Amino acid sequence: MRRRSLTAFVAVVFVLFAGTALAQQTFRIAIGVDPDSLDPAQGTTTTVDNVLDYMVQPLVTIDGTGKLVPDLATSWSTSADGKTLTFDLRQGVTFQDGTAFDASAVKWNLERLLDPKVRVPRRGQLTVIDSIDVVDANTVRLNLKQPSPALVGALSQTTVGMLSPASVDKDGNSYENIVHPVGTGPYTYTSRQKGTNVVVSRNDAYWGDKPYYDKVVFQVVPEATTRESLLLAGQVDLIILPPTSDLPALQNNPRVKVLFGPSDRTIFIAINTSKKVLDNKLVREALNYAVDKQAIIKGVLFGAAEPMDAPMAPSLFGYKKIGAYPYDPEKAKQLLKQAGVDPSQITLHMISPTGRYVQDFPAAQAIANYIRDIGFKVDVRTMDWPTYVGTITKPQAENTTELHLLGWAPSFMDASQQMQQFDCGQSPPNGLATSFYCNQDVQKLLDQASSEVDVQKREQLYQQASQIIWNDAPWIFLWVQSFPMAYQANLTGISGLPNEKFYALYAHPAN
Amino acid sequence: MSGFLGYLLQRLIGVMVTILFVAITIFLMVRILPGDPARVIAGVLASDQDVARIRTQLGLDQPLWTQAGIFLNDLAHGDLGTSARTSDPVTQEILARLPYTALLAVVSLAVAIAVGLPLGALAAARAGSLADLAVSALVLFGISMPVYWLGLMLIILFSIQLRWLPAAGASGPLSIILPAVTLAAFSVAFIARITRSSMLEVLRQDYVRTARAKGTPARGVLWRHALRNALPPIVTIIGLQFGELLGGAILTETVFGWPGMGRLLVDSIFSRDYPMVQGLVIVFALMFALVNLAVDLLYERIDPRVRYG
Repeated sequence: MRRRSLTAFVAVVFVLFAGTALAQQTFRIAIGVDPDSLDPAQGTTTTVDNVLDYMVQPLVTIDGTGKLVPDLATSWSTSADGKTLTFDLRQGVTFQDGTAFDASAVKWNLERLLDPKVRVPRRGQLTVIDSIDVVDANTVRLNLKQPSPALVGALSQTTVGMLSPASVDKDGNSYENIVHPVGTGPYTYTSRQKGTNVVVSRNDAYWGDKPYYDKVVFQVVPEATTRESLLLAGQVDLIILPPTSDLPALQNNPRVKVLFGPSDRTIFIAINTSKKVLDNKLVREALNYAVDKQAIIKGVLFGAAEPMDAPMAPSLFGYKKIGAYPYDPEKAKQLLKQAGVDPSQITLHMISPTGRYVQDFPAAQAIANYIRDIGFKVDVRTMDWPTYVGTITKPQAENTTELHLLGWAPSFMDASQQMQQFDCGQSPPNGLATSFYCNQDVQKLLDQASSEVDVQKREQLYQQASQIIWNDAPWIFLWVQSFPMAYQANLTGISGLPNEKFYALYAHPAN
Repeated sequence: MSGFLGYLLQRLIGVMVTILFVAITIFLMVRILPGDPARVIAGVLASDQDVARIRTQLGLDQPLWTQAGIFLNDLAHGDLGTSARTSDPVTQEILARLPYTALLAVVSLAVAIAVGLPLGALAAARAGSLADLAVSALVLFGISMPVYWLGLMLIILFSIQLRWLPAAGASGPLSIILPAVTLAAFSVAFIARITRSSMLEVLRQDYVRTARAKGTPARGVLWRHALRNALPPIVTIIGLQFGELLGGAILTETVFGWPGMGRLLVDSIFSRDYPMVQGLVIVFALMFALVNLAVDLLYERIDPRVRYG
């Protein structure tokens, strides 16, 4: 009898240890969205890009500060006239199917991205490429239609992740739709169950440093509270976006660590500058002084943001700290008086999405209260995202919104996409510059910057434009949101990239 | 028997007419919703040309009548189109999710019947007792509790505190327990309530008194005589509950990260994936119609007075 219980005990211990050993080799990440597609070309969502980054790699990438660094290209140079861009490729790299990564593979990938037959939502930034030359096996040259200093940045997106040309008609793949990506990355695609997970396994032939974990499972969990539960129950290792209101509790929990990942997403109230009253710069300044950004960040966002001090996030090329609109309701009222505006006679219509950005609708309600404090009547409404985009992009004559909350995150770390928001040509219905802001001085600077090859001059042009925009106040400048994540406290090697991605490739237990 | 077959045929034609009506309604409804699917798919940063190209690829630049013609023609051939969001066939996407939703609904219904029916019968047999009161309280609790809240409470208890069950996902048989119980809560309460009232009705009947008088044991009276006769309204309710469960699955699947059709529907509505929303609504309607047809046919078995044809 005693003997049997001993055997049972040993068996149980064995099973427990075997379980732990197995669990240690798999890293589990709970993400919020089910990938639309595993085709890098078709991507629109940062989190899906983040998953694909385990499998495919672009020519260049960004480091933790947002600076462009080599990936599959070791160096690159622009010709004096700015119309050719030459990349030296990393040698000895093979795709996960064993075929060689070389200049002709790069040419094939870029041509696929430019081919209208393939759905590429982010093609816009690449269409400046006219043709691609294979100089030799390890050198590729892009010939451009006009100088495009932002192109190298655009080539750092996951969209441009290199796929093996030989894999395009295997494993269910087609030229138009890749379902089984074969890249050069540290992990290879293993399986996917739609709505549930994506599983990748370590690529032991990887050219760079090998990761610790054999397998990574991305589990799809749309509900923030459930992601948090999975973490607390020890069923996953890392989660993105825990419920914002629980951040303080998680920070006090010794079993988990909270990481405020950096983001390039500016959150703002776009002021419809084409509307009467709001076309007055003094009124827009007053609105900026009326809102206590710090208090809302602390009380509503639980610290998950930093106030804006320029019309773009600090991680972007072209950023320069401009200033602040400190909370000063008296000054706001005075500015309204100066503008000859009696706010008590005016109702401002404000809309906000719900659940699109960190605490968006609650923040909008708080902002509305501050605006009421300086005398305006404000009504706030929310709607689902597609309806919202449809509403704010109505042409000027039909556009009924006066204030709306929006987030804007360039897909690569360059001011050019941010500045679309202040480009006269991007006003709805042509684009999403939904404050209908148009200042010819700014426009001239932006046009110049878009083709200025000299890096320093280009940076200065954006900084000058930023200064004018800040003073014109087409937005209520709010904050740069951060991208909260949480992970098991016994892990290390986890950080965030400045474009709302997690960087956990080299995560491992701390001891 | 030919009468029965005729009846069945008639009912199946009815189901098809219903589905056609549902198909046309949902086709129009998704298009009345504000929001441009091409813009949602392309993202806010995409250029206008790219958005326009996607619109053409989705066929949304065609006139409404042309789109409707293509949709109905494809539907008649059993083709639900291609998902705008994932570029995969809608039928394939739905078939991948259907087993999960069906499993969840069936397990929940089984739980609801297994718990609700005896509870209701018990409450009826001891009407006015403490047990009856307890069941009534439970019913009130079950009916008024939001699925969302109950799900999270169960996760906190069984996944975080006790660490017995997975909090989310669909890996292994343990995964279904929490979503099924959460989803069943409302139906348990509803079935218990209907069983109680239906049983009370029957227990007042003369034949029950007769059964008692001739000395049938109380348990025999309750289960053999009373329950069988109380069954028809209960079965109707169970059939309707199946529809409730399909609807409830939308929330439950979201809370528990369960890869069923409900979650897919939510994702598809938010991305304005017209073909996918249409396909899912049609399949949901078809499931509901067929279950109710099955319930009607079951009537004949449980109530000898009903004869079809």
